[in-house]
Amino acid sequence: MVTLVKRAVAECIGTLFLVYFGAGAAVITLMIASGEKTSTPFNVGIGALGGLGDWIAIGLAFGITIAAVIYGLGRVSGAHINPAVSIALWATKRFPTGDMVYYVFAQIIGASLGSLLFAASVGMDAVTIGGLGATTPFPGISYLQAIGVEFIGTFLLMTAIMGAAVDRNATPGFAGIVIGLTVAGIITTLGNISGASLNPARTFGPYLGDLLLGGSNLWGFFPIYVIGPVLGAVCAALFYDWVSKEE
Amino acid sequence: MNTVSTVKRYEVAGMKCYVCAKAGKDTEAVGICIVCGMGLCMEHAIREDTQVWEGGYPFPATKTKGKIPRILCEECRTALKR
Repeated sequence: MVTLVKRAVAECIGTLFLVYFGAGAAVITLMIASGEKTSTPFNVGIGALGGLGDWIAIGLAFGITIAAVIYGLGRVSGAHINPAVSIALWATKRFPTGDMVYYVFAQIIGASLGSLLFAASVGMDAVTIGGLGATTPFPGISYLQAIGVEFIGTFLLMTAIMGAAVDRNATPGFAGIVIGLTVAGIITTLGNISGASLNPARTFGPYLGDLLLGGSNLWGFFPIYVIGPVLGAVCAALFYDWVSKEE
Repeated sequence: MNTVSTVKRYEVAGMKCYVCAKAGKDTEAVGICIVCGMGLCMEHAIREDTQVWEGGYPFPATKTKGKIPRILCEECRTALKR
């Protein structure tokens, strides 16, 4: 196994890519749709161009990036690129405490760098129009509903990770594509409800970028994207251990 | 138990040694290279303790504590040592 520092760097770079390409796709969609009239207040711009197709495109940008990072760096660090996943593996005694803390810090740093790099690549419109792809509950969705939606989405994601990768009987080689497509599917349905973050780092990066670059201060929503994903991932890991255990 | 039947027991059913076949000889294979799948006779099979990596997503890949014996052909053995 490579050193913890190298593994943390791999997590940092992997999460940087996730935010740059995934959240970046949401920014670009909002920038292209800027000025378009939307038919309902529930449509804030993503959906103005191709309806649910906008969310499929964003979901695939996330999913394909996740698959690329899993195949590219999975053997180095495990390619969690999500604090909820690291915490869930730690909570089920599969991952050491010290490593988990390093991974979470690295993921948060990577996500922040990804957001800032995207703003540098696109310009200030990425902040003022696209909000750096920050997630917030959509109009009409309550704080509690958003937590519930993030819980459900991350529960499905972690269940797929457990079944396709953690389980010793999983068919090798398929985890990347399965998990990438799972994220794409979840974002397609849940994107226009809570933003479908499923990942505290993925929300932290754009929030910090917006704050530093003069965008909106959205930190009041941040607990949604910590509580929902972390609880969802931990519950899914515990559920999988229980449901798959032979008597 | 005679020598012939002992050898027969370890032959890979129906498979010939690829290295011998290339040289125009017809020798029964007694093993298969774990890397390339080449059938190998007793003369060309190399049984060697090899360092093996295990694991991978969502955990870092790790080397096994000890080396594990593997049947290899000469080409794959050389490639693994590079």
